[in-house]
Amino acid sequence: MSEGRLRLTIVGGFLGSGKTTWLRHQLFAGGFPAAHVIVNEAAGTPVDHGLLEGTNDQTVLAGGCACCDGSQTFQDALLEICDARSQMTDPTQRVGQLVLETSGLADPAAIVDLIQSHPVLIRHIVVHETIVVVDALYGQTALETEPVAQAQIRAADRLILTKIDLAGPTETGRLRRMLHMLAPGAAQSGSSFGSPVDLPTMAAKAVVLPKLAADSAAITTCQLDLGPDPDWTALTLWLSALLHAYGDQIVRVKGVICSPAGRLLVQAVRNRVPSPEVLPETETAAPEDNRLVLIGSGLSSNAIERSYQLVRDTG
Amino acid sequence: MCSLCGFPAAPGHWTEAGAATAHDRLRERFRRGAMLSNLLRPVGISVHDGGLVPGILVMGPGGASAIVPNLEVLWIEVDRILGRPFDPLET
Repeated sequence: MSEGRLRLTIVGGFLGSGKTTWLRHQLFAGGFPAAHVIVNEAAGTPVDHGLLEGTNDQTVLAGGCACCDGSQTFQDALLEICDARSQMTDPTQRVGQLVLETSGLADPAAIVDLIQSHPVLIRHIVVHETIVVVDALYGQTALETEPVAQAQIRAADRLILTKIDLAGPTETGRLRRMLHMLAPGAAQSGSSFGSPVDLPTMAAKAVVLPKLAADSAAITTCQLDLGPDPDWTALTLWLSALLHAYGDQIVRVKGVICSPAGRLLVQAVRNRVPSPEVLPETETAAPEDNRLVLIGSGLSSNAIERSYQLVRDTG
Repeated sequence: MCSLCGFPAAPGHWTEAGAATAHDRLRERFRRGAMLSNLLRPVGISVHDGGLVPGILVMGPGGASAIVPNLEVLWIEVDRILGRPFDPLET
């Protein structure tokens, strides 16, 4: 029962699992009418919000994850939205529902706890559903190495499997069994760029999930500032070499780069780089442009910056 | 896949998405070839991209050579010629 409270849908999932791509299509197809979308990113430079722009109201929370170091900012943002809604006299103008796209490192259960234990928020917001997006290609690797990836699955009411075509039916079947062991109650469905697709059959044989220590190698974020006029040749030369050598450590790369061919969204999940999307031109460069965010374990900002400069100086 | 939401993807290999015109593309290739040569000279590898035919020519110290279609394959070839992974953080 929502009893007049605002419904919140949490869209979670590991780094690069396809949260933004899935949500973008749902918003486009009218899946969340009159929704206020909150986009949370662990890195200081937000990228995803640019992809979700449209008719929806939007709040961007960058530089801290809503379930841990950014939880205060997140609570403040929610209170502000609830406040504005309470003061709105015209019910047709009111926000109908909330959708939170979490950072790839967030535990959705911690966000549910946060709302349910907050004296004010619990009276304004009801958590409707926790949807967790799982990448069929790298999901299993994440579950075998990252405790937070397992926690995300356990918190799910509904699981969306993406990139099934890249992973193949056998691997996806095994992953489905693994997901079923972690979250037996969560319905599983398949999605390709947001549109529903059929899932391969779940593997019959149980899989062994390794027990992970809570303190396994921490995932950190680094940012590379490319300046107002980035050198595309140097950047791609360097990034392709870096991803080739460190694709197992660098889980996620994203950034909007202004090139002679327009504003390009460069992103990678491990060492897989899709063709950059060409984003609409803006009159002045957005403050987030020309910064590359790299998320992974054992990354040194200094080493990354130095190696990029070294490559750039060869030109 | 829905072709209505989202933005168009740049054609070709992702590393080549930054050039808008044929002229830009050619200049990028020359410059990229020169930069790769400078970067890999210390490990004994030379790189040449003449711009006339597709592909980048990679040559090792013992005369081993290969033509690769893009940067992604180039790094695989560099590792093979070197017999060890090339580490961009240790150059």
